[in-house]
Amino acid sequence: MSEKLVTNRRTALKLLGTGAAILTAPYIIRPRPAWADNGILNVTTYDKFLPQEFIDKFQKDTGIEVRVRLTDDQGKQYNLLTAEGANPSTDIVTVAGHRYSQFIDSKLLQPLDTGRISNWKNLNSAYQDAPWARINGNLWGLPILAGYEGLARNVDYVKDAPSWEIMFDEQYKGQTSYIVSDFMTITMQYLGHDGDFVTYTDKPEEAQKATNEARDFLIKHKDMVRKYYDAGSEVQQMFINEDIYLAHSWSGPAAKLIIDGHPIKLSVPKEGTFGFCYTLNVVNNAPNAENAYKLLDAILANPEVGAAMTRQSGYSSTINGVGDLLNERERLASTLPQEEVDRIIFFSSVNRDMKNEMIDRATAEVKAA
Amino acid sequence: MVSSNTTAQDRARSDASVPRYSTRIATVINSALYRHTLGAAVESRIGRVILLAGVPLIWLIMLHVGPIYQMLKISLLSHYPVQPGMESHFTLDNYAIFFRESLYFTPLIKSFIFATAATAVTLIVVYPVAYYVAKVVKPQGRSRALLLLLVPFWAGELIRTFSVIMLLANRGAVNVLLREVGLIDRPIPMLYTSFSLGFGLVYLICLYMLLPLYSAIEKIPSPLLDAAADLGAGPFTRFRRIILPLSRDGIVSGCCLVFLTCIGVFATPMLLGGPTTVLFPETISGFFHGASDKWPVGAAFALIMLVTALAAAAIFMRLVGGRKKRAI
Amino acid sequence: MRAMFSDAPRVTLAAFYWAFILYLLLPLTLMMAMSFKDANFVAFPIGDWTFDWYGEVMQDKQFLEACLYSIMIAAATTLAATILGVWISMLIVAEGIRGQVIIFALACLPAVVPGMISAISLRIFISTIDMPTGTAAIILGHTVHAVPFVVVMALTRLRSMPGNLVDAARDLGADSVVAFFRVTLPYLGPALFGGMIFCVLLSIDDFVRTFFLGGYRLTLPMLIFAKVQGGMSPEINAMATLVLVVTAAVGLYAEHLTRRARTR
Repeated sequence: MSEKLVTNRRTALKLLGTGAAILTAPYIIRPRPAWADNGILNVTTYDKFLPQEFIDKFQKDTGIEVRVRLTDDQGKQYNLLTAEGANPSTDIVTVAGHRYSQFIDSKLLQPLDTGRISNWKNLNSAYQDAPWARINGNLWGLPILAGYEGLARNVDYVKDAPSWEIMFDEQYKGQTSYIVSDFMTITMQYLGHDGDFVTYTDKPEEAQKATNEARDFLIKHKDMVRKYYDAGSEVQQMFINEDIYLAHSWSGPAAKLIIDGHPIKLSVPKEGTFGFCYTLNVVNNAPNAENAYKLLDAILANPEVGAAMTRQSGYSSTINGVGDLLNERERLASTLPQEEVDRIIFFSSVNRDMKNEMIDRATAEVKAA
Repeated sequence: MVSSNTTAQDRARSDASVPRYSTRIATVINSALYRHTLGAAVESRIGRVILLAGVPLIWLIMLHVGPIYQMLKISLLSHYPVQPGMESHFTLDNYAIFFRESLYFTPLIKSFIFATAATAVTLIVVYPVAYYVAKVVKPQGRSRALLLLLVPFWAGELIRTFSVIMLLANRGAVNVLLREVGLIDRPIPMLYTSFSLGFGLVYLICLYMLLPLYSAIEKIPSPLLDAAADLGAGPFTRFRRIILPLSRDGIVSGCCLVFLTCIGVFATPMLLGGPTTVLFPETISGFFHGASDKWPVGAAFALIMLVTALAAAAIFMRLVGGRKKRAI
Repeated sequence: MRAMFSDAPRVTLAAFYWAFILYLLLPLTLMMAMSFKDANFVAFPIGDWTFDWYGEVMQDKQFLEACLYSIMIAAATTLAATILGVWISMLIVAEGIRGQVIIFALACLPAVVPGMISAISLRIFISTIDMPTGTAAIILGHTVHAVPFVVVMALTRLRSMPGNLVDAARDLGADSVVAFFRVTLPYLGPALFGGMIFCVLLSIDDFVRTFFLGGYRLTLPMLIFAKVQGGMSPEINAMATLVLVVTAAVGLYAEHLTRRARTR
């Protein structure tokens, strides 16, 4: 019996080995990285941001082969580009607003030459030359989606939420959730400080004091929290499962729940909040920068792409003509009353180092408390 | 039992004129190519040592140590990645941060306690299962019983984590069921607690305990157990005097795998944890994930964790596992 | 009398086994049931049922390609990691070689390093040795990750292997290489099987290393992570269910074949 078994196992091993060798051979032998070829464009972006029909058409029109690498998280994308150093394997990355200046400071992006994008005029004029987008005198990316950090609530249990104060209301103990680092800045706003650190330039003591106050406040109210989350899909699932009734949430994930008909509302409380844009950026030393510009131009020429991005992410599009392609529900989900829109301040680009340093430190302290 | 006697009795040596191996292996062994390369090498002690240690050592040093060495280098720098116009110099400060502040010390301790507890629970839960499959189930049914245990693991870590969420959430299966039956009228918050984290972690990693245990228990000779029973040893005595000592290797290996995996784990299982269950890997990932990225500090912390975890595992192996060596 | 004594533990153990199976399968049953939910997010109650998600997944070229690519990588990883792992564990149990504890610790290193850090350091490492990213790099990264598991598994049997087995073979004239292939390797049996299972699972589940070392071909976990980012949709459950059902079927069929081969 044992002999039989041994033979079987050996045959299986042999088969496995041959199979693996045959399958791998072409990839190992291939002499040089394929992404350095001309006629290729490498894009790192989120799932379904670039509709397949659009890519097919773009490939046919230009003869450029588009390779898409899907990402799920800004941190991984940043770390990968950093680890790759001067030889990036991607031409275009999708950067979220809170990471914009970090990518630029780390010299991972190249300045955007809007002169090479003939359809630039199709971008909503508010985003064509926004103050937050211009850093060191340059624009660095094509804004594609706009969002904000909102207060999301389950309207079956929470009727009204005019102030961030409700996140600390004993009535909802153990039923709130937030991203610690983001909510720390909101808490600073709520306590009357400057959560974006713009006014703290060269005033580290004042900034530290304000940060510590917010940190201690969050630690004191730690029992309010069901979970500190990271990803949008987590907050969505917590709302659906009624694990939480209230959350600090980026507008996209909450809007997707609203589009899907869940009893969720999203608002900007009176203390205000922060806004940001997702941008498509050409990577520093991109091997195929020329092709990257062609893709950016094609995206602006085709509002269908903007609509796909909105449907997939829940954020509003920055591209003209997209609104006409959305259905009523999709439009409503990403629309706010004007007075609430006025409460949104876009993340600035000054004094980032101090902000990041202090917020990250305080975040670790809140989590460890 | 292992290989048939006739083949073993044959002598290969350089006596090629009398090839009496009954299998194809003989063709290989008696070929000139084999005799002048491998065959010649194993004739001398030095040759045997090189054959045995060469490839493993090269692999270990190149690919196990190599990348970690990169991390070590980074952990000793003041800045990394180095920006143009900035300078990075040698420093031990990144390690000092850890010892200076209890803030980072607590999560490490928590991690150790948590991993130890998870390992113990997994061992206790999985041991009877492994024993059942290895010794109680009849040999014909064994692979099927094992297969049944393996199937759930093919769904992937992330999916399995989400399955646990579906089970334990406020509107998850358990709460819905309890509410339907009328036992509760408000959902019991089970998710995002130490309980759910432990439940999920055991759910995710029990295979790392099961397979080593199975492989160790399976080799305990059944006649030995029957003989003990014939001599009047009760189930408990048999377990304590025979099964437990003879499955020690499996216990050591399983505990090591589960402990080391638990220590280094973050991401997926952390989806199940709550605000009070922050563990050390999450702290480390904060240095790589935060907006102000600090690779050197993160690298230093990872190395601290690495060294302590391996030391703990080594001590455990020394204490529990006997060591036995064989000639080359 | 004896029957009574030996039966009670037997029944208890069987009950325990089935309870454990239930523990493993219950959450997955929920997961599978969710794949039939007619909504964009998974949640209880299921309400309307539909097969549409399966239709969508079957038509998804990306999904099939990602599956095949993942299987290929897993097969190569398993082969490489099993050979290396057994080799290293032979070195660890060998007599007359110093520093076995150190070798063991080195062998275990990659299992303890958190994924992100291991991925970054491997990415920097392959660029210092001028290796391009892509399939070969992914396999390398997965193999590094899987080797410790094979080593630990192999040790479950090697450390207590009766030395006289090998001695006997050697006395009978087999040289060390022959003794290894004819005696030690077959003795490893279930440990090797377990190690290989770990290799496949670790490789198929790995996301971070693949993301850092890979090119532009999607693996299954990359696809699933990217999908989850857009919300937990029943589509993902449908994918996982398909993978699960197919692997279970393949496993059962393979078991059936070996059983037939054995009884013949």
